[in-house]
Parts: sequence; C-alpha cells; structure tokens
Amino acid sequence: MIKTRDVIDPPAAKAHSAAPADVRAQPLIEVKGLFKRFGHTDILRGIDLSIAKSEVVCIIGPSGSGKSTLLRCIAGLETYDHGDVRIESELLGYVDRGGRRTRASTSELNRVRRNVGMVFQQFNLWPHMTVIGNVREALLRVRGMPNDKATAQAGRMLDMVGLSGKADAYPSKLSGGQQQRVAIARALAMEPHIMLFDEPTSALDPELVGEVLQVMKQLARDGMTMAVVTHEMGFAAQMADTVAFIDQGRIAVSGSPQHVFRRSENPRLKQFLQNYLDRNAFWSSDAREA
Amino acid sequence: MFSLAAFCDALPLLLRASVMTLVVSAAGLLIGFFVALLVCAARLSTKRAWRIAGTVYVRVFRGVPLLVQLLLVYYLLPFVGINAPPLVAAISAVSLCAAAYVAEILRGGFVTLPPGQSEAAVMLGLSPMDRLWRVQIPQVMRSTLPSLVNEMVLLIKASSLISVVGVAEVTRTAQNIAAGTYQPFEAYVAAGLIYFVICGALALFAHSAERRLAAA
Amino acid sequence: MPHFNLSVIAANLPQIGAGFITTLGMWLASVLLGAVIGLVAALLQQIGGRGARAVIRVYIELFRGTPFLVQLFLLYYGGPSFGLTLTPVMAGVVSLALYGGAYFAEVFRGGFASVPRGHVEAAACLGLSRWQVICRIQLPQMLALILPALSNLTIVLSKETAVLSVVTVPELTFVLTGIGSATFAYVQTLLVLCVCYLALVELATYAGNWAETRVSRFLA
Repeated sequence: MIKTRDVIDPPAAKAHSAAPADVRAQPLIEVKGLFKRFGHTDILRGIDLSIAKSEVVCIIGPSGSGKSTLLRCIAGLETYDHGDVRIESELLGYVDRGGRRTRASTSELNRVRRNVGMVFQQFNLWPHMTVIGNVREALLRVRGMPNDKATAQAGRMLDMVGLSGKADAYPSKLSGGQQQRVAIARALAMEPHIMLFDEPTSALDPELVGEVLQVMKQLARDGMTMAVVTHEMGFAAQMADTVAFIDQGRIAVSGSPQHVFRRSENPRLKQFLQNYLDRNAFWSSDAREA
Repeated sequence: MFSLAAFCDALPLLLRASVMTLVVSAAGLLIGFFVALLVCAARLSTKRAWRIAGTVYVRVFRGVPLLVQLLLVYYLLPFVGINAPPLVAAISAVSLCAAAYVAEILRGGFVTLPPGQSEAAVMLGLSPMDRLWRVQIPQVMRSTLPSLVNEMVLLIKASSLISVVGVAEVTRTAQNIAAGTYQPFEAYVAAGLIYFVICGALALFAHSAERRLAAA
Repeated sequence: MPHFNLSVIAANLPQIGAGFITTLGMWLASVLLGAVIGLVAALLQQIGGRGARAVIRVYIELFRGTPFLVQLFLLYYGGPSFGLTLTPVMAGVVSLALYGGAYFAEVFRGGFASVPRGHVEAAACLGLSRWQVICRIQLPQMLALILPALSNLTIVLSKETAVLSVVTVPELTFVLTGIGSATFAYVQTLLVLCVCYLALVELATYAGNWAETRVSRFLA
C-alpha cells in the first residue's frame, strides 16, 4: 500500500523515503487475510496489510476495533486463526509443510521475529534494574556481548533518545515520557529492522507526549520501518506514509494521510475523525475543517 | 497476687530459650522456602500431573493442624527406623508446613506480576531461563517480602507447639518454670511478653519493608 | 514396616465419634463467640472514645502477638492463682473465643475501612445518625468484602481446636492420640486424625466458597 507522501503540515524530509513499488524488494511485513477469533467474537476479520522498508504505517480506529490485536499478531504475542503474517518473507507463528499448517515452536517463532522490536503502552521497563541495565540486558543475554561493549552500545542508544544523564537512575524515578523513551532505546539497542509501537503515548500525561513523538519522528526520518497504533493524528499526518483506519476488525480505509484525513467519504471514518476533533480542536474553525 | 519476683526470675531463662525458638523458626522458614520453590514450580507447571501434585501438597499441609503434623512426624520417624532427637522432628514438621504457605505466597507473587514485563523480555529475545531469573524472580522476591516476613511471625508463634514434643523452647521452659515454682501465671506472662516483643519487632520490620517497597 | 491395620479405629468408634462432636462443638462455640467479641470490639473502635479505642487496640495486639498455646496455658494453669478455676472445656472455649475475637476484630476493622469514605460522608450529610450509618450503609457493604477473610478465619479456628488437646479437652486429637498411646498404634491413629481434619477443612472451604458466590450473586 505505497502512496506518494502528501502531508498536511510542513514536510519532514526522510533520509530514505519509502521506495516506489517497482523498485522495492519484498515488503518487510506482509499480512494477508488475517483472521482472529476470541471466544465468540471475531476480532480480526480479514486484514490485508503490507509494510515496505522504511515505510511508516499508522493504524487508527475506535477502541475495540482490533488495532492493538493486529499489532500483537504481527509481534507474535497473539496467535491468529487464519491468514498469513510474514516477517521478511518468513511465515510467523506457523510452519507450512507440503500444504499442511502446524503451529510453530517457540524457537521458530523467536527466530522469525528476531528483527522486530516493540514498544508498549505501559512501557514495561523492569523496575529492579537501572535505566542502563534495562537497555543493555538483551545485549548481554541474547547477543552475548561483553559488559563493556554492551554498556557502550546502551549508552549510545540513551544518547539518541536524549537520556544519557539518567543511565544510573531507576525507572520509578523517571517521568512517563522519560520511561517510554528508555523503552524505545531498549528496543533499538537490538538493532531491529522493524519497530512496532502499541499506543506509545496513550498512557502519558499530555505534556509528556511531545518528547516521545519527537524521538519517533527522528526514527522515521532516519529510515526505520515502523507500524504505529496511535491516537496522535498529528503524528500520523506528519510522518506516516500510509494511514490505515480499522473498524470492526477490517481495514475500512487506507491510503496517504491526505487521502484518509481529508478526502475519504467513509461515514464511520468521518464520525471517528469528528469525535477526535471535538475533543482536540482549539478553535471552532478547526472543527468545521474536517 | 502477681509476683514481680517470680516474673523477673523467669525472664532470663526464657530469654535463653528464645534462642531455640528463633533457631527453629528460622530453620523452618529457610528449609521451607526451598521446598516451597519446588512446590510453587509444580503449581505453575504446564504439566497437569505436577500441578495436581503441587495442589495436593498445599491442601494437605494447610488442611491438617500443625500440632497433628508435628506428632505424626515425631512418631513416624522411629516407625520407619529413623532415630532422631525431637528437635529434628520439630524442624522437619515446621519446614514442611511452612513450605505450603510460602508456596502460596510465591505463587501469588508470580501471578500478580504484570504480563507486560515478560512480554517485553520475550520481544527482546530473552530465553525462558533468563526471563525467569533476570526479570520474574527478582520482582517476585521484592513484592512478596512483606508476606514472607509476616510468615516468619506466624512461624514464631506456631513454634510454641513444639513444646509438646519436648523441645526446650520458650513455652516448654515456661512450663518447666511453672512446675518448679508453682507460679504458672508469672511464667506464662513472661513467656507471652517475650513472644510479643519478638513478633512486634518483626512486624515493624515488615511494615518498613513494605513502605520502602511502595516508595520504590 | 510394622503391621498397619485400622482395627484399632473400628474398636473405638464411639469414643472417636464423641471426640469429633466435641471438636465441632468447640469450633462452633469459639467461632460464634469470637465473632461477637470481634464485632463488639470493632464497633467500639468505630464509635468509642479514645480510652475505649486504646483498650481495644491493646487487646487486639496482645492476642494476635502471642501464641494461642501460651494464652491457653495462662488461662487454664494461671487462672487458679486469681481464683479463676475453669474446666478444660470452659478454658478452651473462652481462650479460643478471645483469641479468635482479636482476629475477627481486625477483619471487621478492615471491613469498615474498605467502605468508601464518600458513602459515609454522604449519609452523614443526609442526616443519618452514627448507628444508622453503621447498620444501613457500612455493614451491608462490608459483608461481601470481608466474607473470604471471615471464612478463612473460621477454618483457621477449626485447626486451632487441636491445640486444646494439650489441656485434656476431650476433642478429636486428644481421643485419637490417647488411643494411639494406649495401643502403640501411633502412626495409624495420627493418619486417621489427618484425614479427619482434611475432610473437615475441605468441607468448610467448599461451604465458604458457596457462601461467597451466593453473596456476590445477591449483591451483583
């Protein structure tokens, strides 16, 4: 789903913009016909989505629409019932043997998603380790790096998110925005090819949202492939290559931010955007613009 | 009326006996803790047989009064040919009983750990062993510390029962003093005071540990 | 392994039955009495003056901070020094009730504290008296919240009745250990004793769970 990038606000130039369809290699993430049932409810009813290298996809939608579930299926944290999720062309969660599909083992699952990093709504920093301890833990245990190398790499990551001064602090002493930036640094330390963000700013006080979005914008400019479930329409308008509106388990509308936010006629999308503007508009003129 | 002299005479003897009380309680908690780790692992296992075994252990050792468990161990050991002093039977019974309660405390700690903690570890690629020892266990130990200290308080009070099999801890010593001096009231008041002070000190420690944990 | 048979049990069934009845009786008496003592203590804490509250606090701390066995000995062996000579059964019931009462008081106190302050304030603003607030607002809401703690305490007291055997109250433990030492069939009798208590505790637990679901369905 690659469209040329129209943006509402001044363009933020990216180092590598999403490549046009004929030149690009296989998409980094490919979701086909994704179907998931939970008890008696169908949460995802046939999702098709592909994310190319360096593309930024923002997933928006009302609560209960399935957007977090979609992201968690891509992360391998939830299983799915039908369809395909492919990470860098490898099938996630299942093994296809001569037409028959069996559930993949944990090690196979881990292998396929080894280049995927994830940032959670609740940060999920480990409270008994310092900030630098959190960031270098995977480097020590998974990559087997020696302590000095891991600490140096972790320090560089903290630099990138602007928190090198907090390296020896414990997470409980940091603000929500700082904790989330540490969480981003922790995921980035493993040098993932893809970064998934599950409502990264929803648990933050409003004045702390900006510092996290700043980090994410820089990541996008540097060419990271990102899938972001978010309520921050401004971020989507500025940085997304594609915006996907999910409603009742299906992608109802998808396209460039310009198309989704201004030109779509889908009634549920218009209602959703109107609700958003009612809550966030400063001047009455903004509300009328949608 | 209340004889202050008898009370004061009893105190030093009881203080010396309190060492035995503390030793038995501490040994019971320590050994019980390691048994509890096994029982808790069984309760949280993916295999049904282990889960049932763990549940049976907890139900049995929490369902039978400690006094009965104590007597059973005390008489069972010679029955199967082990000749050990009463102290061994006492510590064994107390350990096995404590293990059931500690296992439930630990299980509660694991169950209330936010799943996001482990999910973050999973997404970073940490192995199950690393997840357990680097992320889950440190946090469970911190969160269950107040309950574990409280368990120690309960053990100290329960240790009074081992007087029944003749171990010379505080209650037994008080009984001996009462029999010797014909001043049972003063002896038992002194014993009660010693237990009260020990348990009170531990409870204060648990409170401050809880406060420090909440602040962290 | 020495000979293991249960004939000893069969031969003494009526005695064992009487012991079981005694255990049930002691348990029931101490739970009811203890609950009453605990409720009165908690109520005094709520509406009493500073003096009453201090006395209750001392009672609760003392009876929760010392072993039950010591309290029992104090009453049974120490009582006569003050002219208070009780039979084992009387001493057992009183002692267990006082011990349980302190724990019941704490459970009720926690219950009072768990009712949102706003509910009490709203009632006070509407003109309800202290007693009305307690009976109409606090106690009904408390009940569902403290039911698990109450049933747990009841089970703890059922196990504590075994300790009464030490002062020769003829309950189950006393009877069976007596048979054991008379016939040297220690292990058999103790194992049967374990099974009896297990059955009792399991039944009490199921009853408690049943009560909890009934109450929560009633309030939901």
